[in-house]
Amino acid sequence: MRRDIACSIVNALSLAALLALSATSASAQGQPEPAGVNPAGGGVPMRSLERLKSKAAGPTPRTADGKPDLSGIWGPEPNFMGDISNALKPGEKLPLQPWAVKVSRERLSKDDPEASCLPAGIPRQTPFPFKIIQTPKLIVFLIEGNMHTYRQIFVDGSSHPKDLDPNWFGDSRGTWQGDTLVVDTIGFNDKFWFDGIGHPHTEKLHIVERYRRPDSAHLEYEVTIDDPGAYTRPFTMYGRSPLLQNTEIMEYFCSENNQDVAHVLGKGRPAKE
Amino acid sequence: MRTKLGLLVAVVGLLAAACPALAHHAFVAQYDASRSMMLQGVVTKVEWTNPHARFYVDVKDKSGNVTNWNLELASPNALRRLGWTRDILKPGDKVSVFVAPAKDGAKMANARTVTLADGRKMVAGIAAEQGGVQ
Repeated sequence: MRRDIACSIVNALSLAALLALSATSASAQGQPEPAGVNPAGGGVPMRSLERLKSKAAGPTPRTADGKPDLSGIWGPEPNFMGDISNALKPGEKLPLQPWAVKVSRERLSKDDPEASCLPAGIPRQTPFPFKIIQTPKLIVFLIEGNMHTYRQIFVDGSSHPKDLDPNWFGDSRGTWQGDTLVVDTIGFNDKFWFDGIGHPHTEKLHIVERYRRPDSAHLEYEVTIDDPGAYTRPFTMYGRSPLLQNTEIMEYFCSENNQDVAHVLGKGRPAKE
Repeated sequence: MRTKLGLLVAVVGLLAAACPALAHHAFVAQYDASRSMMLQGVVTKVEWTNPHARFYVDVKDKSGNVTNWNLELASPNALRRLGWTRDILKPGDKVSVFVAPAKDGAKMANARTVTLADGRKMVAGIAAEQGGVQ
């Protein structure tokens, strides 16, 4: 979080510096400039959502059966993108097993499945909104990025099917515990990365998400990861999404014109472990 | 004045290079902001596509040699939310673009700001509050 704030300041300084430079350098156009401005290129989508955040927060909306209504278009949580350890409680570290530390250090950005337009899986988010559609027996997440996909959460009292094939979003079953939607998901493959660093997991992954809408303008969630194949104990991450207004989910088919991967070198950010 | 400003920009650029990238690919693994430069030329093609909108610019050097640069913008959904439209850039337009070039030496770069033929400066990166247009 502290680093995010620092980077926001740096970005603002970058813009100020660029504007000042461009005001004095009309004669220098065509010449190389000494340095860059705001290289956090992916920050553009996040900034594009700033003015769409709901400014007023009213009481939690409810459905006809009295449950909190989670429906809405929600902004992404930056701590669930580049490095999920940012979403832990302050001072906590990811309880990685030794092999998982090694993998986190060695994975390179060019090998990130998300960079090749494959699904982000859970809990990783993208810098684009997601939409929740809530019905009494089925809750659907429509996910704008990274490849324009969806999640289905069955809240009809059913259990996970036996003999699931491993896949990118697993099998999700939800129950209401008071005003909290508890989502239990298993049946994952081990192909997606938890974040841009490349924190790994195995097919033993079991995720429990707890969603609340404390007021009309915010969605809060806790995500507990239990993967005895890659982590020494379960751990919980915390996130919060703002309600977005005056926008809709837009198309984002990443594989349409993805020219980047061939030019990605090294690692986008170092692992902390 | 200009030297001091250049130094400020250099320092800020270096600091910013340490900040996280949040795109579908890691910015710092692909582009080198420390070698940012201004490109001037004529737009030859525009691709309003995902995961990035792109435009291509013919840039002539002092010897008259022309190089076609492949310049990356954000994705169309983000650009639309920032106030861009897909016809803001058109083939034949003369533009100046402040870019961070690819690390691997390809004639490819991330466009930070685009100054259009009519003088409007489009900020692809920061000015969400201004709708992306200064």
